[in-house]
Amino acid sequence: MQLLFKIAWRNILRHKGKSLVIGIILFLGSLIMTLGNGVISGMDKGISENIVNRFTGHVVLVSTNQEQDNVLFSHMGKSVEVIYGYTNIRKILDRQPYIDKYLPTARGMAMALSEDAEPAYTILLGVKFEDYNRMFENNVEIIEGHVLKNDQRGCLITSESRKSLYDYTSSWLVPENTPLIRSNLSPEARSNQDSLILKTNVVIMGFGDDDLAMDIRVPIKGIFKYKRLNKLWEYFNLIDIESFRECFSYVTGADAAVSLPAEKQTLLSMEGANLDNLFDNTVTSVATKAGGYDFQTMKHETRRKNVKVNIDAGAYNMVLVKLEKDIRLNQAVSRLNKELKKQRVDARAITWKKAAGQVADMATIVRGSLFGFVLFIFFVAIIIIMNTLSMAAIERTSEIGMMRAVGATKGFIANMFIAETSLLSLFFGGLGILTGIILIKIVASLNISTTNDILQLLYGGDTFQPQLNLGDIISGILQLVVVTVIAVLYPVKVAKQITPLEAIARD
Amino acid sequence: MNIIEINNVKKDYPLGQTTVHALRGIDLTIQEGDLISIIGPSGSGKTTLLNIIGCIDSATEGSVKIADKEITRMNDKDLTNLRLYKIGFIFQTFNLIPVLDVLENVEFPLLLMKQYTRDQIRKRAEKLIGEVQLKEYIRHKPSELSGGQRQRVAIARALVTNPDIVLADEPTANLDSETGATILELMKEMNEIEKTTFIFSTHDADVLKYAKHVVKLRDGHVVEH
Repeated sequence: MQLLFKIAWRNILRHKGKSLVIGIILFLGSLIMTLGNGVISGMDKGISENIVNRFTGHVVLVSTNQEQDNVLFSHMGKSVEVIYGYTNIRKILDRQPYIDKYLPTARGMAMALSEDAEPAYTILLGVKFEDYNRMFENNVEIIEGHVLKNDQRGCLITSESRKSLYDYTSSWLVPENTPLIRSNLSPEARSNQDSLILKTNVVIMGFGDDDLAMDIRVPIKGIFKYKRLNKLWEYFNLIDIESFRECFSYVTGADAAVSLPAEKQTLLSMEGANLDNLFDNTVTSVATKAGGYDFQTMKHETRRKNVKVNIDAGAYNMVLVKLEKDIRLNQAVSRLNKELKKQRVDARAITWKKAAGQVADMATIVRGSLFGFVLFIFFVAIIIIMNTLSMAAIERTSEIGMMRAVGATKGFIANMFIAETSLLSLFFGGLGILTGIILIKIVASLNISTTNDILQLLYGGDTFQPQLNLGDIISGILQLVVVTVIAVLYPVKVAKQITPLEAIARD
Repeated sequence: MNIIEINNVKKDYPLGQTTVHALRGIDLTIQEGDLISIIGPSGSGKTTLLNIIGCIDSATEGSVKIADKEITRMNDKDLTNLRLYKIGFIFQTFNLIPVLDVLENVEFPLLLMKQYTRDQIRKRAEKLIGEVQLKEYIRHKPSELSGGQRQRVAIARALVTNPDIVLADEPTANLDSETGATILELMKEMNEIEKTTFIFSTHDADVLKYAKHVVKLRDGHVVEH
């Protein structure tokens, strides 16, 4: 072994030019590879921190009737199926030790209506806002107005949606009891600020597969932006879950709280029975009291009663779940699905990637492209090293042939080449990895930020935060070993094929 | 005792559309401890014969026995071992490992054997280097030596494993006559000291006086023995 490394080391020094070429390739290859790993790792962490922790959770529970997994970015107008029996699902979730927290929610596409303008489309996320904020690490940054309380009616509109709604409706939305902040006006609104129509509420109507949606007026409580990945999520406006349910004709918590008299309960329980039998065939005319309607009385009788309701008794269409750190995503999804099936509840678990659809796909594509680039660098490095080493083997035919003549085995010759390449790899590759680590630290400390959607995915957030953990460094070293081994295979084969006779013939 | 037995050895080389018959049926027996010179004009088959005896080329036909072992049917590993343990080589162009110094070059075959301790290897190599009178150059690289000195290193390396046979293909071809004579004297001396069988090829008539026996080749045939 000592002899091998002695010959290898001295050969490196003897053939300085070639060694330097191979060394530079190894240095650049491992540097780019380390930087690539750092970006990929930072992106993974960024996606995990920004998408999973701040928007979707790790797992999303949807109805068993839900066909498409992409529930967050589904096609316009495609409703997400309602989950029935959330209270039972909640009990199951509470029993799972690997679940950290969860949030029931409802997502839907809605139209913002205006008397004399085209309807504008927007995405609504029906939530109990305080729970939402707790679940997603206070990702909402209020620009105007204030946050919602769990039992409060109202909506929070993103600044981007406000601009978009203004373009459609020509009305500038401002939160209730909040003065107009002119500096927040969009350029279009600013150009019309003398005749600006201000609105503190918005009329919205759920938009779905059926005709059951209804329009409701919802007060605006705040204008906000998401602290992270705002560009990706800025079309998701937050609304209190009860208003969402009304707007989409879901069962509300208040509906669930209604107690019916015994005869009405009996009537409702007669589902499937022939209800015509309750009536005889005679036509009955009922005299209605003409007149006597008083607007104030009607308003009083139809006003929303301020009764204490269990909001969770109403309908949701998804549950966002965050996992404990010690469980793998697929394992958790599998265990959860098994349990949900066993308990026969109307829910199935999918990963956040499936639920986020194209956003996750884009992240995967960007990640894949980066990985592909790193692989390409590997490939180029392998070809160049392989070529240079093969040439070196041929040039050293006399020396190798002579070694074989005096008793060196093919294994010895192979090991001599491997030792040479390993030493170069160790020194130049190690230097490349070390430089990569330092560069990653420097780049991360610069806090380079972007508002570009694709770059945000590449960055895994608003700021470029490449990072390397011990696993990445070990993986980088392993990649270097793989490159070295692959690069040396062919030259070793060439060297092993050199016979003493060739050495003599060459002389 | 016969150390080498060659029977009806033929060697053909394809050369484009034709075949060159380098050896056309050689029969030869060499005794242990002999010092044989193979002579003949260029193209007579001297180098081919040495290469076949040295297990670095194979016969197209015939039988070659070295120390009673048939080598024509041996695999690469066995042939390599035979070269390492039984045969020493001295090439026309010296062929030393350029990155190793004199001592390390001589130690090289012993290190490959993995049979001796570091100390034993060092002592044996130093002894041989002393015998070829290169002690003062022991840490010199081949590039720092003259042709004659390099060939002496090659002799020491060929002898260091105490082989049964040393093959030398025109060992003096690249040396001036005085240095060549010194080398041949040395080989003769080694043959006497170590009792090693020496076979060397040459087309230099002056060299013949060092040989105990002469084998003359012409057109791939032994014409005189």
